[in-house]
Amino acid sequence: MRQFGKYTLLAIIFVIMVFPLLWMFYLSLTSVQSQFTIQNFIYIFSSNNFGLYLFNSLFVGITVTVGNILFCFMCGYALARRKVPGSKFWLYTVLIVLMVPVHIVIIPIYILMNKLGLYDSYWALILPWLVNPIGIFLIKQYISTLPESLEEAARIDGAGEMKILFRIVMPLCKPALAILAIQVFMTNWNSFLFPFILTSSETYRTLPVALALLLGYQSIDWHQLMAGSVVAVLPILVLFLIFQRQIISDITAGAFKQ
Amino acid sequence: MKQNGYAKGWMLFSPWIITFLVFWFFPLVYSLVISLTDYRLLDPSVDWIGFANYSKLFSDADFISSLKNSFIFVIGTIPFTTAIALALALLLNEKFKGRTFFRAAYFMPSITSMVVIALIFSNLYARGGYLHLLADMIGLAPPANGFLLSENSALASIMAMDIWMASGYYMLLFLGGLQTIPTELYEAATISGASKWHQFRYITLPMLKPVTLFIIVINSIKSFQVFIEIFVMTKGGPLNSTFTGVYFVYENGLRKFDFGYASAAAYVLFAIIAIASVIQFKFLKTEWKA
Repeated sequence: MRQFGKYTLLAIIFVIMVFPLLWMFYLSLTSVQSQFTIQNFIYIFSSNNFGLYLFNSLFVGITVTVGNILFCFMCGYALARRKVPGSKFWLYTVLIVLMVPVHIVIIPIYILMNKLGLYDSYWALILPWLVNPIGIFLIKQYISTLPESLEEAARIDGAGEMKILFRIVMPLCKPALAILAIQVFMTNWNSFLFPFILTSSETYRTLPVALALLLGYQSIDWHQLMAGSVVAVLPILVLFLIFQRQIISDITAGAFKQ
Repeated sequence: MKQNGYAKGWMLFSPWIITFLVFWFFPLVYSLVISLTDYRLLDPSVDWIGFANYSKLFSDADFISSLKNSFIFVIGTIPFTTAIALALALLLNEKFKGRTFFRAAYFMPSITSMVVIALIFSNLYARGGYLHLLADMIGLAPPANGFLLSENSALASIMAMDIWMASGYYMLLFLGGLQTIPTELYEAATISGASKWHQFRYITLPMLKPVTLFIIVINSIKSFQVFIEIFVMTKGGPLNSTFTGVYFVYENGLRKFDFGYASAAAYVLFAIIAIASVIQFKFLKTEWKA
């Protein structure tokens, strides 16, 4: 009986948590007359530029993710295995990035991008996010747990530093780099404020920006808007369903460190 | 190997040094500097005006009401989000069939794009929308034009959505905290005959103190910066009822291009966030010691 009560409660909360997302799928797959249709998806790709927005989101997301894999790895390795001047200070930059409200930096970055001639370009969407301190310290922690003997053995065999870095240490860091990649891609894919402020033309518009601007039009076709939303949500949902155990245990484990 | 590594360490680490200097350090200093000027886009003459922007802010009724709305948003969401997250975590901490499934499902809103969530709820809250109909059905007499078009319900509606969205994420943080509590404590308590409530009150709650503190501080910082949902759902309206601090910065800085004035507002918000974080740390620390 107690079990039954518990599952009833869990199920009610489940409906509350999942209903809005199901509602989105429902609207996207129906017409105004509540008939099943995929016309909304055909429309947003043919009459609206969702193909372009999807490409932009993918292109920026993948570039930023690759950048983070490379640069967070380099920086994390430097902290774990090399002397970096001011290494204590760089730890505090994690806090700065976490605590400083983005609205303080957004006006200067807007001005800076304009002065550099990078406003409204892929550069504006990519450059500020190629490396992040939380990722750096994730990799640094991971490398610290690896034995140095492999690197030393390679060094004795006469392997160059680049080869040691990318051929020996990097493959060993795969689990940590995978976590990093998932987190970075998800954050970047969903990001709205910077892409919204640093671009103006359709050419560089990402999915979240396109969706937010669509609502501004006078006559809203909710079914098409929700079809666009599905396009913006589906990749993340699929990633989440594949890696959910990993993602959830990472976040729960994160609380340990506090 | 460390002796020859000095220059190389520097080089390998340079991506973050450059990124930090260009996209964090410089902007932070630069916005402080322009907050002391009358810098506007398309205005060639930039003059030092000292703290004039700051004193103007505190006589600007729009800014004051935006601060008020931000505070309402933070104070009205955090207790609910925290309590719901804790309740969900307690519910999903015991081992039972389907635990991972429910954890994933409850967490799902948190990984969804804020823009999409805001769009879905714009639909649900609108006149004839699902939540609007539901409220009508149970006799709540919802605003005739939908929740987001009435100045009495718009902010509260966005707050409710935020609580719904964030609870799953903080639930996971609480679950992490619960896992750090040694089970021996509960075993000992059970042997000495402590009730479930007593165990919760005198073991679980005190042991969750660090996580709770972290959650409240992080969530306050985030909530004080609420922007995307406001932009998508109400654009600050109706009648400025959802016009928050960060929306003020956006409106003045990136729509009216009054860079100096907006930067001053941004720094005031930053100062409030910093002070509030320190107070929360102090207050919660002493509170729990008692």
